[in-house]
Amino acid sequence: MRRTLSLAVAGAVLLGACGGSTGEDAGRDRELVVSAAASLADAFPEIGRAFEAANPGVAVAFNFGPSDGLAGQIVEGAPVDVFVSASPAWMDAVAEGPGVIGRADVARNRLTVIVPAENPGQIERIEDLARDGVKLVLAAEGVPAGDYAREILAKAGIAEAALANLVSNEDDVRGVVAKVLAGDADAGIVYATDATPDAAAGIRAIPIPDDLNVVATYTAAVVGGSEQVDLAKRFVDFVLDEGRETLADHGFLPA
Amino acid sequence: MGSSLRRCRTPLGFGLLAAAGILVIGLPIVGLVARTPWGRFVPILADGTAREALRLSLVVATSAGVLSLVAGFPLAWVLARASWPGASLVRALVVLPLVMPPVVAGVGLLAAFGRRGVVGSWLYEAFGVQLTFTTGAAVLAAWFVSFPLAVLALEAGLRGIDERLEGAAAAMGASRGYVLRRVTVPLLRSQIAAAFVLAWARALGEFGATITFAGNLQGRTQTLPLAVFERLQTDQDAAVALSLVLIGLALGVILALRGRFLR
Repeated sequence: MRRTLSLAVAGAVLLGACGGSTGEDAGRDRELVVSAAASLADAFPEIGRAFEAANPGVAVAFNFGPSDGLAGQIVEGAPVDVFVSASPAWMDAVAEGPGVIGRADVARNRLTVIVPAENPGQIERIEDLARDGVKLVLAAEGVPAGDYAREILAKAGIAEAALANLVSNEDDVRGVVAKVLAGDADAGIVYATDATPDAAAGIRAIPIPDDLNVVATYTAAVVGGSEQVDLAKRFVDFVLDEGRETLADHGFLPA
Repeated sequence: MGSSLRRCRTPLGFGLLAAAGILVIGLPIVGLVARTPWGRFVPILADGTAREALRLSLVVATSAGVLSLVAGFPLAWVLARASWPGASLVRALVVLPLVMPPVVAGVGLLAAFGRRGVVGSWLYEAFGVQLTFTTGAAVLAAWFVSFPLAVLALEAGLRGIDERLEGAAAAMGASRGYVLRRVTVPLLRSQIAAAFVLAWARALGEFGATITFAGNLQGRTQTLPLAVFERLQTDQDAAVALSLVLIGLALGVILALRGRFLR
């Protein structure tokens, strides 16, 4: 019966990823399924298109979500070729399950506080997140962005007061951006790349001092059990080479 | 009657398609039961976050069910009894949440009651009240999606009443309030129960509008479906066990309605 759930999950992944690709082309085109951290949802489609252009007949299907959730799907048997995690921990989880091949760090990221443009909570520095009544939204525990945020709050010595202000645990980091963008949350903590004007107009980033910040490292690898290991390896290499510039354009730091 | 009618033979194709339909509905339930970690079942449910989610779900669903009845009865009465120009438009509007994607309902609720919403911005500026991220928001989301079921059940019930009974009571001098309390409502008892139970069950399962509009915080807005969704990423056994609880509650609803609404 494990299989039943696995198949259901796999089906959901494929449905979510393909978005209605036609069955007729399936025989001719090779599809590479890439599960990637939600924070890569702007940069990776660009890299994917460049990869498709460089490899005629190959279609890259992305499945963006929280790294912990994506790892869970892969461990459950979702047919994924490449996994890109926002934290090494979830790559370790996949390494234990189906296994990984050719693991490599592809980028790094910093975190930042974000507030709605009109800044209703009057947040000017990270310490303000501890002020009574501030409505703070974070990614859930286990989601890399959520764990990094909690680490930063602890470093700043305001974990208890700030977490008492928590009003929602979001499924992934983009959920945090959405709640702040809607104007209902006073503040959130997301990756610096989520807070660029391109990624989200209408929010303001309030930088976190370097001594309190953490560095998130993105790791990519071919998922063990992939039926197209060579193609998947080529994609990881492509991200490391040609993709570097795109990632830099989107504000990611080199690995 | 009908006993002398010759039974039709079921065409083979019908039988196969029907079986496929049964499998589509049945297999996920079989899968859940098979995957349920029976050994951990009790510890999972006894866990503080699970109990909190169950408690909150019951509070939210019951509040939404009561609100659906309280606001639904007058609306159903107006739809069933009065003839007025906009009635069919209103009926279409009332049914809309049934067929609307719940996440869209959440976006709509944000647009109305969020801090920048049509009503929400006024609430915030005039009274400093913010609905989003509160249990009240979870109730509102559940009410929004469950309301149509209550109204439809009540309207069907009101249309089924023999109005001469009410007329007779009125002719004997009973006031409108008395007729309503002593004739209409008692006659509608089982429809009112069905309306409540249907609304309650729909409210219990609400997910998309809740997570969009109310957020996800343990003890405040994290109802059972949200807890299932969150556990799915960290502890799939717990997600399956909590899912089974929700299915159990849904099954209870069907049994409660057996012979009333469903034949």
